[in-house]
Amino acid sequence: MSLTYFIADLHLSADRPDITECLLNFLSRDAKQADALYVLGDLFEVWIGDDDITPFNTAIAAAFHEVSQHCPVYFMHGNRDFAIREAWLKKAGMSLLKEQTVVDLYGTPTLLTHGDELCTRDVAYQKFRKKSRGWWWPRLMLALPLWYRRRVAENGRKESKEKQKGLKPEIMDVTPLEVEKAMQRHGVQRLIHGHTHRPNIHSLTVNGKPATRIVLGDWYDQGSILKVSPKEVMLQHNKFNQ
Amino acid sequence: MVTFKTNFGDITLELFEDKAPKTVENFLSYVKDGFYDNTIFHRVIEGFMIQGGGFTVDMDQKDTKDTIENEANNGVANEKGTIAMARTNDPHSATAQFFINVNNNDFLNHTSESVNGWGYCAFGKVTEGMDVVEKIKSVKTGSHGYHQDVPVEPVIIEKAIIA
Repeated sequence: MSLTYFIADLHLSADRPDITECLLNFLSRDAKQADALYVLGDLFEVWIGDDDITPFNTAIAAAFHEVSQHCPVYFMHGNRDFAIREAWLKKAGMSLLKEQTVVDLYGTPTLLTHGDELCTRDVAYQKFRKKSRGWWWPRLMLALPLWYRRRVAENGRKESKEKQKGLKPEIMDVTPLEVEKAMQRHGVQRLIHGHTHRPNIHSLTVNGKPATRIVLGDWYDQGSILKVSPKEVMLQHNKFNQ
Repeated sequence: MVTFKTNFGDITLELFEDKAPKTVENFLSYVKDGFYDNTIFHRVIEGFMIQGGGFTVDMDQKDTKDTIENEANNGVANEKGTIAMARTNDPHSATAQFFINVNNNDFLNHTSESVNGWGYCAFGKVTEGMDVVEKIKSVKTGSHGYHQDVPVEPVIIEKAIIA
Protein backbone atom coordinates (compact mmCIF):
# COMPACT_ATOMS: atom_id res chain seq x y z
CA MET A 1 0.00 0.00 0.00
CA SER A 2 1.44 3.36 -1.01
CA LEU A 3 0.39 5.70 1.73
CA THR A 4 2.01 8.38 3.87
CA TYR A 5 0.51 9.83 7.04
CA PHE A 6 0.92 13.33 8.49
CA ILE A 7 -0.15 14.49 11.93
CA ALA A 8 0.49 17.64 14.00
CA ASP A 9 -0.88 19.65 16.90
CA LEU A 10 -1.83 16.74 19.13
CA HIS A 11 -0.87 18.75 22.23
CA LEU A 12 -0.51 15.53 24.21
CA SER A 13 -0.55 15.82 27.97
CA ALA A 14 -1.11 13.36 30.80
CA ASP A 15 -4.40 15.06 31.67
CA ARG A 16 -5.97 14.40 28.25
CA PRO A 17 -6.15 10.58 28.08
CA ASP A 18 -8.77 10.77 25.31
CA ILE A 19 -6.24 12.30 22.89
CA THR A 20 -3.57 9.79 23.88
CA GLU A 21 -5.94 6.87 23.39
CA CYS A 22 -6.91 8.10 19.94
CA LEU A 23 -3.24 8.43 18.99
CA LEU A 24 -2.30 5.00 20.33
CA ASN A 25 -5.14 3.45 18.33
CA PHE A 26 -3.98 5.20 15.19
CA LEU A 27 -0.37 4.15 15.75
CA SER A 28 -1.14 0.50 16.40
CA ARG A 29 -3.85 0.07 13.75
CA ASP A 30 -2.99 2.31 10.82
CA ALA A 31 0.43 3.90 10.99
CA LYS A 32 2.42 0.68 10.64
CA GLN A 33 0.92 0.03 7.20
CA ALA A 34 2.27 3.31 5.82
CA ASP A 35 5.37 4.14 3.82
CA ALA A 36 6.16 6.84 6.38
CA LEU A 37 4.67 8.81 9.26
CA TYR A 38 5.43 12.51 9.68
CA VAL A 39 4.78 14.39 12.93
CA LEU A 40 4.89 18.10 12.10
CA GLY A 41 5.22 19.62 15.55
CA ASP A 42 3.28 20.24 18.76
CA LEU A 43 3.10 16.55 19.51
CA PHE A 44 3.24 17.57 23.18
CA GLU A 45 1.47 20.44 24.90
CA VAL A 46 4.71 21.32 26.63
CA TRP A 47 8.27 19.94 26.67
CA ILE A 48 10.65 20.95 29.43
CA GLY A 49 13.61 18.76 28.50
CA ASP A 50 14.48 15.16 27.58
CA ASP A 51 15.60 14.62 31.19
CA ASP A 52 11.96 15.01 32.30
CA ILE A 53 11.32 11.29 31.97
CA THR A 54 7.75 10.43 32.94
CA PRO A 55 5.68 7.25 32.52
CA PHE A 56 3.53 9.27 30.13
CA ASN A 57 6.17 10.43 27.67
CA THR A 58 7.95 7.07 27.92
CA ALA A 59 4.78 5.28 26.83
CA ILE A 60 4.34 7.68 23.91
CA ALA A 61 7.95 7.09 22.86
CA ALA A 62 7.45 3.32 23.01
CA ALA A 63 4.33 3.50 20.82
CA PHE A 64 6.16 5.52 18.15
CA HIS A 65 9.18 3.25 18.42
CA GLU A 66 6.97 0.27 17.64
CA VAL A 67 5.77 2.04 14.47
CA SER A 68 9.36 2.85 13.51
CA GLN A 69 10.04 -0.88 13.27
CA HIS A 70 7.64 -0.94 10.31
CA CYS A 71 8.06 2.45 8.64
CA PRO A 72 10.20 5.55 9.11
CA VAL A 73 8.84 8.12 11.55
CA TYR A 74 9.87 11.76 11.13
CA PHE A 75 9.51 14.56 13.61
CA MET A 76 9.64 18.32 13.16
CA HIS A 77 9.59 20.74 16.10
CA GLY A 78 6.51 22.81 16.88
CA ASN A 79 6.25 25.96 18.97
CA ARG A 80 5.31 23.88 22.05
CA ASP A 81 7.85 21.10 21.86
CA PHE A 82 10.84 22.84 20.29
CA ALA A 83 12.97 21.63 23.21
CA ILE A 84 12.71 17.93 22.24
CA ARG A 85 16.21 16.65 21.62
CA GLU A 86 17.95 13.53 20.33
CA ALA A 87 17.61 11.55 23.59
CA TRP A 88 13.82 11.34 23.44
CA LEU A 89 13.67 11.10 19.63
CA LYS A 90 15.94 8.08 19.77
CA LYS A 91 13.63 6.40 22.27
CA ALA A 92 10.74 7.13 19.92
CA GLY A 93 12.55 5.87 16.84
CA MET A 94 12.10 9.25 15.19
CA SER A 95 14.34 11.12 12.79
CA LEU A 96 14.43 14.87 13.20
CA LEU A 97 13.59 17.04 10.22
CA LYS A 98 14.64 20.66 9.99
CA GLU A 99 11.92 23.27 9.74
CA GLN A 100 10.98 23.77 6.08
CA THR A 101 12.14 20.50 4.63
CA VAL A 102 11.22 19.45 1.10
CA VAL A 103 10.35 15.79 0.60
CA ASP A 104 9.39 13.90 -2.53
CA LEU A 105 5.87 12.55 -2.07
CA TYR A 106 5.22 10.06 -4.85
CA GLY A 107 6.81 12.37 -7.39
CA THR A 108 5.52 15.70 -6.01
CA PRO A 109 8.10 17.82 -4.19
CA THR A 110 6.34 18.95 -1.01
CA LEU A 111 7.43 21.52 1.52
CA LEU A 112 6.83 20.49 5.13
CA THR A 113 6.82 22.85 8.08
CA HIS A 114 5.09 23.32 11.43
CA GLY A 115 3.86 26.69 10.22
CA ASP A 116 4.35 29.13 13.08
CA GLU A 117 7.08 30.95 11.15
CA LEU A 118 4.47 31.76 8.48
CA CYS A 119 2.24 33.62 10.96
CA THR A 120 4.17 36.87 10.66
CA ARG A 121 1.23 39.09 11.59
CA ASP A 122 1.65 38.02 15.22
CA VAL A 123 4.58 40.29 15.90
CA ALA A 124 4.78 39.53 19.64
CA TYR A 125 4.90 35.79 19.01
CA GLN A 126 7.57 36.15 16.31
CA LYS A 127 9.73 37.99 18.82
CA PHE A 128 9.38 35.14 21.31
CA ARG A 129 9.99 32.62 18.56
CA LYS A 130 13.23 34.27 17.57
CA LYS A 131 14.42 34.10 21.16
CA SER A 132 13.22 30.59 21.88
CA ARG A 133 14.74 29.17 18.71
CA GLY A 134 17.98 31.08 19.12
CA TRP A 135 21.15 29.57 20.54
CA TRP A 136 21.33 30.97 24.06
CA TRP A 137 17.76 30.87 25.37
CA PRO A 138 17.09 27.12 24.99
CA ARG A 139 20.52 26.30 26.42
CA LEU A 140 19.89 28.53 29.38
CA MET A 141 16.42 27.05 29.95
CA LEU A 142 17.58 23.45 29.65
CA ALA A 143 20.45 24.16 32.04
CA LEU A 144 18.03 25.07 34.83
CA PRO A 145 17.28 22.33 37.39
CA LEU A 146 14.49 19.93 36.43
CA TRP A 147 12.40 20.73 39.54
CA TYR A 148 12.49 24.38 38.57
CA ARG A 149 11.47 23.71 34.97
CA ARG A 150 8.60 21.52 36.24
CA ARG A 151 7.39 24.34 38.44
CA VAL A 152 7.57 26.83 35.58
CA ALA A 153 5.58 24.44 33.38
CA GLU A 154 2.96 23.98 36.09
CA ASN A 155 2.60 27.75 36.47
CA GLY A 156 2.40 28.02 32.70
CA ARG A 157 -0.50 25.55 32.69
CA LYS A 158 -2.38 27.58 35.28
CA GLU A 159 -1.72 30.78 33.44
CA SER A 160 -2.87 29.31 30.16
CA LYS A 161 -6.11 28.10 31.80
CA GLU A 162 -6.64 31.61 33.12
CA LYS A 163 -5.90 33.08 29.70
CA GLN A 164 -8.40 30.80 28.02
CA LYS A 165 -11.08 32.60 29.97
CA GLY A 166 -10.07 35.74 28.11
CA LEU A 167 -11.98 36.62 24.99
CA LYS A 168 -10.47 36.39 21.55
CA PRO A 169 -9.75 36.98 18.59
CA GLU A 170 -6.17 35.79 18.29
CA ILE A 171 -3.92 36.25 15.33
CA MET A 172 -3.85 32.67 14.24
CA ASP A 173 -3.32 32.25 10.57
CA VAL A 174 -0.52 32.29 8.07
CA THR A 175 0.29 35.41 6.08
CA PRO A 176 -0.50 34.56 2.44
CA LEU A 177 2.58 36.42 1.20
CA GLU A 178 4.86 34.41 3.53
CA VAL A 179 3.38 31.16 2.19
CA GLU A 180 4.04 32.23 -1.37
CA LYS A 181 7.60 33.34 -0.55
CA ALA A 182 8.43 30.06 1.20
CA MET A 183 7.04 27.96 -1.66
CA GLN A 184 8.92 30.04 -4.22
CA ARG A 185 12.14 29.80 -2.25
CA HIS A 186 11.91 26.01 -2.16
CA GLY A 187 10.56 25.72 -5.71
CA VAL A 188 7.50 23.66 -4.74
CA GLN A 189 3.81 23.68 -5.66
CA ARG A 190 2.70 21.88 -2.52
CA LEU A 191 2.99 22.81 1.15
CA ILE A 192 1.87 20.85 4.22
CA HIS A 193 1.79 22.54 7.62
CA GLY A 194 0.00 22.57 10.98
CA HIS A 195 -0.01 25.11 13.82
CA THR A 196 -3.08 27.15 12.85
CA HIS A 197 -5.65 24.46 13.76
CA ARG A 198 -7.53 25.30 10.56
CA PRO A 199 -7.60 22.03 8.64
CA ASN A 200 -8.19 22.61 4.97
CA ILE A 201 -6.84 22.06 1.47
CA HIS A 202 -6.33 25.45 -0.16
CA SER A 203 -5.72 26.11 -3.85
CA LEU A 204 -3.46 29.01 -4.72
CA THR A 205 -1.14 30.21 -7.44
CA VAL A 206 2.63 30.16 -6.98
CA ASN A 207 5.06 31.04 -9.77
CA GLY A 208 2.06 31.40 -12.06
CA LYS A 209 1.14 27.74 -11.58
CA PRO A 210 -1.57 26.08 -9.52
CA ALA A 211 -0.38 25.13 -6.05
CA THR A 212 -1.82 23.50 -2.93
CA ARG A 213 -1.53 24.37 0.74
CA ILE A 214 -2.66 21.58 3.05
CA VAL A 215 -3.33 22.45 6.69
CA LEU A 216 -3.38 19.69 9.29
CA GLY A 217 -6.03 19.75 12.00
CA ASP A 218 -5.50 19.72 15.76
CA TRP A 219 -6.44 16.89 18.12
CA TYR A 220 -8.42 18.78 20.76
CA ASP A 221 -11.77 17.24 19.81
CA GLN A 222 -10.83 14.43 17.41
CA GLY A 223 -7.88 12.73 15.77
CA SER A 224 -6.86 14.60 12.62
CA ILE A 225 -4.82 12.74 10.06
CA LEU A 226 -3.66 13.57 6.55
CA LYS A 227 -3.38 10.62 4.18
CA VAL A 228 -1.32 11.10 1.04
CA SER A 229 -1.15 8.43 -1.64
CA PRO A 230 0.05 8.68 -5.25
CA LYS A 231 -3.58 9.30 -6.24
CA GLU A 232 -5.17 11.31 -3.48
CA VAL A 233 -4.76 13.66 -0.57
CA MET A 234 -7.31 13.31 2.22
CA LEU A 235 -7.88 14.89 5.61
CA GLN A 236 -9.38 12.25 7.88
CA HIS A 237 -10.94 12.60 11.32
CA ASN A 238 -10.97 9.87 13.95
CA LYS A 239 -13.50 10.31 16.72
CA PHE A 240 -12.37 9.85 20.30
CA ASN A 241 -13.30 6.64 22.17
CA GLN A 242 -13.56 4.53 19.06
CA MET B 1 -25.66 54.96 15.01
CA VAL B 2 -23.73 54.71 18.24
CA THR B 3 -20.99 57.05 19.42
CA PHE B 4 -18.28 56.15 21.93
CA LYS B 5 -17.11 59.24 23.76
CA THR B 6 -13.55 58.27 24.70
CA ASN B 7 -10.70 60.13 26.35
CA PHE B 8 -9.02 60.01 22.91
CA GLY B 9 -12.02 61.50 21.05
CA ASP B 10 -15.32 60.32 19.56
CA ILE B 11 -15.80 57.14 17.53
CA THR B 12 -19.09 56.90 15.62
CA LEU B 13 -20.39 53.56 14.43
CA GLU B 14 -22.95 52.56 11.84
CA LEU B 15 -24.58 49.23 12.74
CA PHE B 16 -25.60 46.54 10.24
CA GLU B 17 -29.08 45.71 11.61
CA ASP B 18 -30.03 43.92 8.41
CA LYS B 19 -26.94 41.68 8.32
CA ALA B 20 -26.54 40.92 12.02
CA PRO B 21 -29.89 41.71 13.69
CA LYS B 22 -29.36 39.71 16.88
CA THR B 23 -25.84 40.98 17.40
CA VAL B 24 -26.90 44.60 16.88
CA GLU B 25 -29.86 44.21 19.23
CA ASN B 26 -27.55 42.74 21.87
CA PHE B 27 -24.97 45.51 21.43
CA LEU B 28 -27.63 48.24 21.63
CA SER B 29 -29.06 46.73 24.81
CA TYR B 30 -25.67 47.07 26.50
CA VAL B 31 -25.39 50.65 25.21
CA LYS B 32 -28.87 51.52 26.58
CA ASP B 33 -28.03 49.95 29.95
CA GLY B 34 -24.97 52.19 30.21
CA PHE B 35 -22.89 49.02 30.49
CA TYR B 36 -20.07 50.39 28.32
CA ASP B 37 -19.82 53.69 30.22
CA ASN B 38 -16.43 53.88 31.93
CA THR B 39 -15.17 50.66 30.44
CA ILE B 40 -11.81 50.54 28.69
CA PHE B 41 -10.11 49.22 25.58
CA HIS B 42 -8.16 46.60 27.53
CA ARG B 43 -6.48 44.75 24.66
CA VAL B 44 -4.74 46.75 21.98
CA ILE B 45 -2.61 45.10 19.30
CA GLU B 46 -1.25 47.34 16.58
CA GLY B 47 -1.80 45.93 13.11
CA PHE B 48 -4.63 43.75 14.39
CA MET B 49 -7.45 45.16 16.51
CA ILE B 50 -8.46 47.11 19.60
CA GLN B 51 -10.74 45.22 22.01
CA GLY B 52 -12.95 46.62 24.73
CA GLY B 53 -16.32 46.70 26.40
CA GLY B 54 -15.74 44.28 29.27
CA PHE B 55 -13.41 45.78 31.85
CA THR B 56 -13.52 48.75 34.20
CA VAL B 57 -10.65 51.20 34.48
CA ASP B 58 -9.37 49.07 37.41
CA MET B 59 -9.25 46.01 35.09
CA ASP B 60 -12.19 44.34 36.83
CA GLN B 61 -14.23 42.21 34.44
CA LYS B 62 -17.92 43.19 34.39
CA ASP B 63 -20.76 40.67 34.63
CA THR B 64 -22.61 40.29 31.36
CA LYS B 65 -25.92 39.00 30.05
CA ASP B 66 -26.27 35.66 28.29
CA THR B 67 -24.19 34.65 25.29
CA ILE B 68 -25.58 35.21 21.82
CA GLU B 69 -25.73 33.33 18.55
CA ASN B 70 -22.81 33.97 16.20
CA GLU B 71 -24.05 35.68 13.03
CA ALA B 72 -20.65 35.65 11.30
CA ASN B 73 -22.22 33.61 8.52
CA ASN B 74 -23.78 36.88 7.28
CA GLY B 75 -20.88 37.37 4.87
CA VAL B 76 -19.63 40.64 6.40
CA ALA B 77 -15.82 40.66 6.30
CA ASN B 78 -13.58 41.77 9.17
CA GLU B 79 -12.23 44.71 7.21
CA LYS B 80 -10.32 47.63 8.61
CA GLY B 81 -12.73 49.86 10.51
CA THR B 82 -15.39 47.23 11.17
CA ILE B 83 -16.56 46.36 14.67
CA ALA B 84 -17.06 42.68 15.59
CA MET B 85 -17.88 40.62 18.67
CA ALA B 86 -15.14 39.05 20.79
CA ARG B 87 -15.72 35.55 22.14
CA THR B 88 -14.08 32.43 23.61
CA ASN B 89 -13.26 29.30 21.59
CA ASP B 90 -16.98 28.51 21.52
CA PRO B 91 -18.28 30.29 18.40
CA HIS B 92 -21.56 31.21 20.13
CA SER B 93 -20.13 32.77 23.26
CA ALA B 94 -20.10 36.51 22.59
CA THR B 95 -21.61 38.73 25.28
CA ALA B 96 -20.55 42.38 25.61
CA GLN B 97 -16.92 42.60 24.48
CA PHE B 98 -16.22 43.77 20.96
CA PHE B 99 -13.23 44.76 18.90
CA ILE B 100 -12.54 47.21 16.11
CA ASN B 101 -10.39 45.82 13.30
CA VAL B 102 -7.45 48.08 12.47
CA ASN B 103 -6.42 45.89 9.54
CA ASN B 104 -8.11 43.64 6.99
CA ASN B 105 -8.28 40.53 9.17
CA ASP B 106 -9.58 38.06 6.63
CA PHE B 107 -8.64 35.10 8.83
CA LEU B 108 -11.38 36.17 11.26
CA ASN B 109 -14.09 35.73 8.63
CA HIS B 110 -16.61 32.91 8.58
CA THR B 111 -15.53 29.98 6.43
CA SER B 112 -17.58 27.04 7.76
CA GLU B 113 -19.96 26.11 10.57
CA SER B 114 -17.24 24.47 12.67
CA VAL B 115 -15.33 25.53 15.78
CA ASN B 116 -12.37 26.63 13.67
CA GLY B 117 -14.34 28.09 10.81
CA TRP B 118 -17.15 30.10 12.41
CA GLY B 119 -15.18 33.29 12.52
CA TYR B 120 -16.07 36.54 14.26
CA CYS B 121 -19.27 38.47 13.60
CA ALA B 122 -18.66 41.93 12.17
CA PHE B 123 -21.83 43.93 12.82
CA GLY B 124 -20.94 47.53 12.05
CA LYS B 125 -18.27 49.97 10.97
CA VAL B 126 -16.64 53.19 12.04
CA THR B 127 -18.08 56.11 10.06
CA GLU B 128 -16.35 58.91 11.96
CA GLY B 129 -13.35 58.94 14.26
CA MET B 130 -11.12 56.44 12.49
CA ASP B 131 -8.30 58.85 13.39
CA VAL B 132 -9.20 58.23 17.04
CA VAL B 133 -9.02 54.47 16.46
CA GLU B 134 -5.63 54.94 14.79
CA LYS B 135 -4.39 56.87 17.81
CA ILE B 136 -5.63 54.18 20.20
CA LYS B 137 -4.04 51.32 18.27
CA SER B 138 -0.61 52.87 18.71
CA VAL B 139 -0.69 53.43 22.48
CA LYS B 140 1.98 51.86 24.66
CA THR B 141 0.89 48.52 26.11
CA GLY B 142 2.11 46.13 28.80
CA SER B 143 1.00 43.20 30.95
CA HIS B 144 -1.58 43.39 33.72
CA GLY B 145 -1.90 40.14 35.68
CA TYR B 146 -2.71 37.44 33.17
CA HIS B 147 -3.61 40.00 30.55
CA GLN B 148 -1.23 41.14 27.87
CA ASP B 149 -1.43 44.07 25.45
CA VAL B 150 -3.14 46.26 28.05
CA PRO B 151 -2.70 50.00 27.44
CA VAL B 152 -0.39 51.50 30.05
CA GLU B 153 -2.52 54.65 30.16
CA PRO B 154 -6.19 53.59 30.17
CA VAL B 155 -8.22 54.20 27.01
CA ILE B 156 -11.66 54.89 28.43
CA ILE B 157 -15.11 54.82 26.86
CA GLU B 158 -16.54 57.56 29.02
CA LYS B 159 -19.98 57.20 27.51
CA ALA B 160 -21.69 55.24 24.74
CA ILE B 161 -24.68 57.04 23.24
CA ILE B 162 -27.27 56.16 20.62
CA ALA B 163 -27.46 58.94 18.05
